[in-house]
Amino acid sequence: MAQPLPSKEQTLFRHLVQNYESKQYKKGIKCADQILRKHPNHGDTQAMKALVLSCQGKEAEAFELCKLALRNAMKSHVCWHVYGLLYRGVRNYEGAIKAYRFALRLEPESPQIARDLALLQMQMRDYAGLVQSRRQAVQSKPGIRSNWTALAVALHLSGDLAGAEDVLKKFEETLKQPPHKGDLEHHEAVLYKISIIAESGDVQRALDEVDAIFKKAVDRTAVMEMRADYLLKLDKKEEAEKAYRALLNRNAERRDYFTGLEKSLGLHKSKKEDQEKLVQLYQEEANKSERRDAARRIPLDFLEGDVFREHADKYLRRMFRKGVPSTFANVKQLYANPSKKQTIIDLVESYTKETPEANGSAEPNGSVNGSEGKAPSSEDIALNWNLSVNYFLAQHYDYHLSRDLEKASQFVEKAIALNPLKNDYTFHMTRARIIKHKGDIPGASKAMNEAREMDPKDRYINTKCAKYQLRNDENETAIATMGMFTRKEAVGGPLGDLLDMQCVWYLIEDGESYLRQNKLALAFKRFQQVYNIFDTWTEDQFDFHSFSFRKGMIRAYVDMIRWEDTLRQHPFYSRAAQSAVKILTMLHDKPELATGGQVNGSGDAAADKKAAAKARKQAEKEEAEKKAAAAKKATAPAKEDEGEKKKEDQDPQGKDLLKQVGEKPLDEAMKYLTPLLELSDKNAASQTAGFEVYIRRNKYLPALKCLHALQAIDADHPAIKDQSARLRSALTPMPEDVPDKAREVLQAEFLSKQ
Amino acid sequence: MDIRLLHPSDIPHVQTTNITNLPENYFCKYYMYHQLSWPQLSYVAVDVSRPKKTPYDAPKIVGYVLAKMEEDPQDGIPHGHITSLSVMRTHRRLGLAEKLMRQSQKAMYETYGGKYVSLHVRESNVAALRLYKNTLGFKVIGTEAKYYADGEDAYSMRMDLDYLKDEADMSDDEETVGKDEGDAVGSAGKEGDGEKLRKVKVGRQLGVGELVEKNESSAA
Repeated sequence: MAQPLPSKEQTLFRHLVQNYESKQYKKGIKCADQILRKHPNHGDTQAMKALVLSCQGKEAEAFELCKLALRNAMKSHVCWHVYGLLYRGVRNYEGAIKAYRFALRLEPESPQIARDLALLQMQMRDYAGLVQSRRQAVQSKPGIRSNWTALAVALHLSGDLAGAEDVLKKFEETLKQPPHKGDLEHHEAVLYKISIIAESGDVQRALDEVDAIFKKAVDRTAVMEMRADYLLKLDKKEEAEKAYRALLNRNAERRDYFTGLEKSLGLHKSKKEDQEKLVQLYQEEANKSERRDAARRIPLDFLEGDVFREHADKYLRRMFRKGVPSTFANVKQLYANPSKKQTIIDLVESYTKETPEANGSAEPNGSVNGSEGKAPSSEDIALNWNLSVNYFLAQHYDYHLSRDLEKASQFVEKAIALNPLKNDYTFHMTRARIIKHKGDIPGASKAMNEAREMDPKDRYINTKCAKYQLRNDENETAIATMGMFTRKEAVGGPLGDLLDMQCVWYLIEDGESYLRQNKLALAFKRFQQVYNIFDTWTEDQFDFHSFSFRKGMIRAYVDMIRWEDTLRQHPFYSRAAQSAVKILTMLHDKPELATGGQVNGSGDAAADKKAAAKARKQAEKEEAEKKAAAAKKATAPAKEDEGEKKKEDQDPQGKDLLKQVGEKPLDEAMKYLTPLLELSDKNAASQTAGFEVYIRRNKYLPALKCLHALQAIDADHPAIKDQSARLRSALTPMPEDVPDKAREVLQAEFLSKQ
Repeated sequence: MDIRLLHPSDIPHVQTTNITNLPENYFCKYYMYHQLSWPQLSYVAVDVSRPKKTPYDAPKIVGYVLAKMEEDPQDGIPHGHITSLSVMRTHRRLGLAEKLMRQSQKAMYETYGGKYVSLHVRESNVAALRLYKNTLGFKVIGTEAKYYADGEDAYSMRMDLDYLKDEADMSDDEETVGKDEGDAVGSAGKEGDGEKLRKVKVGRQLGVGELVEKNESSAA
C-alpha cells in the first residue's frame, strides 16, 4: 500500500472492503468517510469509496473520486484496479483492460487483478492476452482444475486445438486416483477433450476415447450422439446404424437421428431406388409407437405420385381424427411442390363428403384404434374430423400459395359454427387472419379482439391481439392489451415490464407502426431499445466467463461464446437495425425532421413556419414540465435502496434522442449498419441499407460493393435499378475528391459496364 | 417437429415463446443461467417445416421446457425442477409437452441422479394442472401460499423418476420408448440397489404391446 494508515484506520479500511463485498454500501460509505476525515488524501480509501458509489449507481461521482484517488496514489494497484472496475461497469472494456494492466504492473502477483483482466480479455476476445492470463493462473494455482480448463478453452478458442487437448490431458495425468463417479466437472472435461480431438479431425482417436468412457459417462445423450457421429464419419456403417437406432429409442422426434440412420444405411431420399427401403424404415419406426410423429411425417418430404397420395391420406386422416390443429402448419412446406399441393387439396376436399365413422376402415392396420387406452367416442371422432377438415381447408385457402379468400372465409365460418367450446378461439383467430389478408386491417384487429375476449385469461391470444392492434396502428390500445399480463409492479408500466423482459417482438412491431405513422421519434426510440437489448445480451455473457468454470459445463460455455460472436445475426436485430437506418437516412435528407418537423411538409412555407413555431413552443413547454418534474423528484426523499434502482425514462417520447442522433445521423447509422454487413451480409435488406448509408456519405466504393453484393443475392431485386442510377449520377461527373485508385475501380467495375 | 436440446442460440426465441404464452417471464440471463448450469436438461420443440425466408432465419420454437436441478435441496435428495414449460396454442394435441418433459426427466435422472422432479402451477390454471396430473403423472404434494408475484397460490407438484430405472439403456438394442408412454408412469419403481444406471433388458418384444394411446385433449 502506497500510503500506510494507522492501525485504527487500517481496521476501518478492512471493514470498508468487507462492506463492499457484502454489498452493504451505506455502511461502506460511512467507513470510508470516517477514514477520509482524518486522512483526506488517502488514495486507496477514495478509490474504495468510488467503487461503492458506482455500485449505488453514482457513476459520474465515482469516476471523479477515482481520478482524484489516482492523483493522490499514482502507484497504488488498488486505485488502478478500481479504475478498471469502474470502466468495466460502464462497459468501456478497453479502458478497463488498460487500467488492469497498470494495476498488474504494480502488483504482478495479485491473482484477483489477473483474474479480472482475464475476464475482460475473454469479453473482448483478446485470445492472445487471455491465453497468457489463464496460463499465469495455472502456474500460480496448479491444483485447481478450473484453471486448467480455462486455459484449455482459451487455447481452443484461439485456434490451438492441440494445445488445448494437451492442457486437458496434462491435468488428467496429475489425478492420483480416478475421480468420483459424481464428479461432473471431470465427466464434462473429458467430453470436452474428446470434442476437441474430433474437431481437430482425428475422429478415430475421438471414437476410441468415447468408447473408453462410454459406459461410465453420465451425460448419456451426449456420449451416444458423439459416438454415433464419429462412427458415421469413419464409415463404420453397421455400428453407426445401431447407434442411431439406440438414439431414436430415446428420442423418436429428433430429425438428426433419422438423417444419421439413413446415412448409415446408405439410403438417399433423392434416389428412386431407395424409396421402398426408406418407406419400410420409417414404417418400422412409426409402428413402435402411436405417438411418434416424425417417422410418419418425414416420408411425405421425399415420396412422390401415388405413394405420396397413399401416405398423405394416411397421415391426414390420422391427424384429423385426433383433431390436431397444427396439421396444416405441418404440411404446408410440401406446397412448394405443386403436384403435392394438388394431391393434398384433392384428398381433403374428398374428406368433406365422407361420414367420419367410415374412415376407420380406411386404415387397414387400424393403428388409431389399436391402442388399449380408452378409445374416443364416435361422436368425438366425428366432431374432431369435421372441425379439422373445415379448419384445414380454411387455412389452405388462406395460404399464399393456394389463396382463395372467399373460400377460406366460408370454411372458417363452418368451423366456427361447429366449434363446441365457447373459449376455444382457434377458429376465430384464423378468421381474423383471413380478414387481414383481405386487406381489412382494422377489421382484422377487431376480429382478433373478439377471439381474445373468448378467453381473456389466455396470454397467447392476448399476444396475437396486441400484434394485430399494432398492425392497425392502435399503439395505445395495444399496450393496454399487453398490460393485462405484465407485472403490475414494473417501473414504467406495461412497456417498462416488456423492456425488462426483453420482449423484442413488441418493440419492433411498435416501432414499425410508429414509422408507418411518420412518428419518427417514437419509432427510433423503439429500435434503439432493441439495439440496447442486444447490448445487454452481449454483456450477459460476462459473468459466465467465471461462472462456467466453477460449474464446469464447458461445452455449453463454448457454444454460448460462439453464439454471442454472431449474436447480431439474429433476425430481431436485422429488422430493428434496417428500420433505424431508414430513419437516420431520412434525418440526413431532411434535418428538420429531427426537431419535430413532419415527414410530409404541407408545401406552404408560411404554414410550415407557423407549425414549426408551434412545435418549438410545445417543445419548450414540455422541457419546462420535465425540469419541474425532475426538480420535484430530486427534493422528494429518494427511497434508499441498497440494490440497483431502476430509473424512470426521462425521454419516453424519444424527442431528445431524435434531436441528438439527428446531429450526426450517418455516424449513428454506421453503428446499426456495421453488424448487418458483417453478420447478415447475405440478406438483401442489409445490402440495400448499406448502399443508402454509403451513398450519402459519398463513400462510392463501399456503396458499389453493397450494390454488387445485392446483385449476387438477387439479380432481379427491385432496388438494383434505382441504386445503379443514383450511383451513376453521383459519379457523373466524377467528384473531385475521389482518389485515383477508387476512380479506376469505379470506372472498371461500374461505369464502363452496361 | 424436431425435439432437441436447447442451445444458447435458441434463447431469444424460447424467451419469445415464453412471453407469448405465459405470465411468468424471465430475461435472457436467466435462461443462460439454466442452460449453462445444466445444459442437459432444457429442451425445445422446433417447427422444422417452415419455408426459409433468409439464410439467417431463426428456428421457430413452438414449445420448450426450461429445467434445473435444485441447488440446495431442503430434503437433501437430489431432484430436478421445472422452471417453465409451454407449448404454443397452435401446436397442441401433438403430445409435445410430454415429449419435452420426458427428455428432460431422463437427463435429470441419468446425469444428476435426480430422484424426483418438482414444479409449481397456479391454482387457477386448470388446464396445466390437468396436463401435469393426468398426462404426465405428477401428484400435488402441497400448496405454496402467495407463490406468484400477483399473490396467487401455487400447487406444489412432484413426480418420482424411478420409472427411469427400467429404461436405463446402456446397450444398443433396447426398446425404451413405449415404456414412458404406458400407464405405468411413475409407479414402475423397483427396489433400489443404489446403482444409478442399471442394465435392464427391455427387448423389442415388449415394445408394441405396451403402447397406450393417451387422451391428449388436455395437453396445453
